[in-house]
Amino acid sequence: MSDWITITIDGKEVKAKQGELLTEAAARAGIHIPVFCSHPKLDPLGACRMCLVETEGRRGKMLVTACTTPVNDGAVFYYDSPRAKDARAGTMELILANHPLDCPICDKGGECDLQDQAMEHGTGHSHYWEEKRHKEKNYPLSDLIMLDQERCVTCWRCIRYLEQWEDKPQLGLFNRGSATVIDKFPDAELDAYTSGSIVDICPVGALTNRLSRFRYRPWRLEHTDSICTHCGMGCNLRIDTRDFRVRRNVARTNMAVNDEWICDKGRFANGFAFSEQRLIQPLARIDGELQPVSWSEALDRVVAGLKDVVARHGAASVGGIGSAKLSNEANYLLGKFMRGLVGTNNVDFREGSALKAERRGIPSLKAAREADLIVLMGVDPSEEMPVLANFLKRAVKRGGAPVIIVHSRRIELTKYDGVFFNPAPGEESPLFDALTKASLQARNEASPDWLAEVEVDEETRKAAALLAKAEKPFIIYGTDYAWGYGSASIVQALTNWIVAAGHGDRLGFLHSQANAVGAADMGLMPDLLPGQRPLTDAAARAQLEALWQTELSAQAGLGYSGMIASALGRIKALYIMGADPVGEKPGYQKELSSLDFLVVQDLFLTETAKLADVVLPAASYVESAGTFTSTERRVQKAPQAAKAVGDSLPDWTILMHIARRYAPEKADAWRTPSVEAIFAEITQAAPQYAGFTWENLGDSGRQWAWDALPAPREIVAYQASEPAPIDKTFNMRLVTGSLLWDDGNVFAATERMASLGRKGVWLHPADAEALGVFEGDAIAVRSREASLELPLYISPRIRPGTVFVPFSLKDAPVGELFDEYGPRTTVAVYRA
Amino acid sequence: MSGLKELVQGAEFIAKSMGVTLKTLVTEAPNTVQYPEEPVAMYPRFRGLHELRRYEDGMERCIGCSLCEAACPTGAIYVLAAENDPSNPVSPGERHAEVYEVNLMRCIFCGDCMRACPTEAIVLGHNFELAQYDRVDLILDKEALLNPPTPNVIIRPDA
Repeated sequence: MSDWITITIDGKEVKAKQGELLTEAAARAGIHIPVFCSHPKLDPLGACRMCLVETEGRRGKMLVTACTTPVNDGAVFYYDSPRAKDARAGTMELILANHPLDCPICDKGGECDLQDQAMEHGTGHSHYWEEKRHKEKNYPLSDLIMLDQERCVTCWRCIRYLEQWEDKPQLGLFNRGSATVIDKFPDAELDAYTSGSIVDICPVGALTNRLSRFRYRPWRLEHTDSICTHCGMGCNLRIDTRDFRVRRNVARTNMAVNDEWICDKGRFANGFAFSEQRLIQPLARIDGELQPVSWSEALDRVVAGLKDVVARHGAASVGGIGSAKLSNEANYLLGKFMRGLVGTNNVDFREGSALKAERRGIPSLKAAREADLIVLMGVDPSEEMPVLANFLKRAVKRGGAPVIIVHSRRIELTKYDGVFFNPAPGEESPLFDALTKASLQARNEASPDWLAEVEVDEETRKAAALLAKAEKPFIIYGTDYAWGYGSASIVQALTNWIVAAGHGDRLGFLHSQANAVGAADMGLMPDLLPGQRPLTDAAARAQLEALWQTELSAQAGLGYSGMIASALGRIKALYIMGADPVGEKPGYQKELSSLDFLVVQDLFLTETAKLADVVLPAASYVESAGTFTSTERRVQKAPQAAKAVGDSLPDWTILMHIARRYAPEKADAWRTPSVEAIFAEITQAAPQYAGFTWENLGDSGRQWAWDALPAPREIVAYQASEPAPIDKTFNMRLVTGSLLWDDGNVFAATERMASLGRKGVWLHPADAEALGVFEGDAIAVRSREASLELPLYISPRIRPGTVFVPFSLKDAPVGELFDEYGPRTTVAVYRA
Repeated sequence: MSGLKELVQGAEFIAKSMGVTLKTLVTEAPNTVQYPEEPVAMYPRFRGLHELRRYEDGMERCIGCSLCEAACPTGAIYVLAAENDPSNPVSPGERHAEVYEVNLMRCIFCGDCMRACPTEAIVLGHNFELAQYDRVDLILDKEALLNPPTPNVIIRPDA
């Protein structure tokens, strides 16, 4: 680089970059200036005065704060001079003057900047003998975070994090002088979804993790570098264990993925690894009851049951359902077992063939941070991926990127400048048609005939102009538009718009599940083979036949809902791994209980598992090793961090055992000794993974290429789906979507988080007034299929005429309401 | 020197030394302790069996800080802390030890735990009768530590 300059620290010449802060320049030279308030990811402030150094100014030597001083060529600093040392010791004494020194009961003790720096820079004695100031101790800021005001050194890191990354100023400083305290603003909650990050960056023990409070001492923890599997972002985290049990999760830096932040779900919701509800031994249905059996008996029953069904009804009567929450290895082996040994192509997962989604996910998370325009369609990053939402907020606030949002709710990011479209469910595709036309006009291109009658208004023109101007827009759509009735036409319409705007190759889909891309890569879809190659690709089949030493059928299988629906017909046996169809739609109970044979492999005795003939206890991802492929196609490894609960086994081990018993003559092909070896086989089966090895995935994972699969290039005419009919009774449109705090099986296992979030139905104030209902009232939502009863929340974020029911609510599965219009049905809403 | 003279001299020495013995036998009490019938007095700083002390109001002194565990050179101590239930606290303050175990098979009675303890909760008492028939009984749990067979050693009164 050309802009290297030379500065002098303690008489030593040091290379530095023009304008960088003295703390950074010194750190490069191996001088670690002590800091509390300064943090590389936050704007400099100079609040704590711990970093005082001497510099040569125009009026002689003077003390400056190193963390706010940019360096210039030829600048001279003294870090080790008596005056600088004395100043830092004095600052330390003042900081400690009111510090309670309750290190023995402080969770930060052992990894505390204040402890370390007091030892290094303090004098070891104090001039003060008066009683210390007393402030609030043991003061819960939220259900997740505990504040101890006495320990606080008022460095403002938490305040600045919430302002600069979350854009939610929820903490402030109150009072003055030594009485200064951190607190919430009156009548305000600390409910930012990444609030746990302030625990990580707090340099002292003022902010601590309430869920893991007092359950660990830092020096006794074993660290495992892993990832989070609550959503598709693939944030890197460190799982800290003791006695082979998970004690806490902390963020791990990966600049390409999560920077150094994780959301509160990733940090706190780790209870599934040690929940009392976990299955600890195999169960089998004996005399109509699920009873504990040994592993070998359970495996024998699975094999006998599957073989029996295959013998009586043929291989096509068997189906396998995997999960986008499970590792590549588990999903790969399930596909290999079903296709290779059983001989059926009935394999899928919930977000598999049912999702009309860009299978490549999003171009990259880095693109989100560098975007000059953000386009969100049917996706709410604030609820689905809070860390990504923070990146987008930074792009807006620091990069000046406008935001174009198309969503059925007024989501949080609509507070930023840009254009917001709020189409009712069923009216999305006409809007996208208008946007397509506007974008073609903006680029002076001719519209196809079928767009001739579409009208372009002011707002669409504005959005098209923004998109035409943008050079590196970040364009994503989400599950809301890609799933269920009508999604094919919506996705085609929105793809047309982005192609029309000339950004077809930037259009990404935000997969909300940890391994949705990976499960498709593993070929766990009825029409896709590993490597996302079509089943009809004869060369791909031949390659896999050679690798698996078996024969593969080219007949496409049934998808997720197809398999379940056919349980009343030609499907006689299902192997369900990590999925809970009944929990999501209790009506599926009818289909699944009519099966001849049902195997469920899961962490918990789910509603589906209660119907099973054999239930196999699986180890969670924390207790077994595996790789996951995030929504930006980043393959990352999650090594085993904790001991498996009870007799549970990793998914891949269970599948290996079953395969060896199912086909003893081919047992040699199913003796892969480890996850590393299975991953090596995957790299042969999936061309995108070629060149990856368990070792070279390293700490930060590796991405497969964005252009490994083709991008949409053409505007395609399509048949728009009719919206569900509105009549006198069913006069409201249903809107569904994911909220961060739901009651999903894995999340609900962290029982102390159950009270978080607002779980109920949501209405616009005008609709609530028309119905004469108030916040908190019990509200019934009735569709042509079923009825749910939930408490009411009123919010102007909801579109008038719609009712929002989130996914995965306890005892109120929204899937129950779906009729032939799926999640876009119409419902009646009334006081229960 | 004749043999006779040696004989007389020898008898004289024996008589003299036996005189000391006889005199002490009458004038001083015996030093032998009739253990185990009689208790053995230990020096105040003797380091025997571990005890967890309480405050005078019955609250446990231990706050579960695990510094004893950190100081222990043999890894003989295991502590798992927990939050106090404010309505039914085990110790003063926010934190207490939910699990506290001392493994006597590992302990070398160095007393480092006692020295590390910020609340003088863990002390090494004067009980040296450690033999057990079962190895499991050599792991002391909190119950055993809080209720030692001999009364707690008071190092100094509560502040």
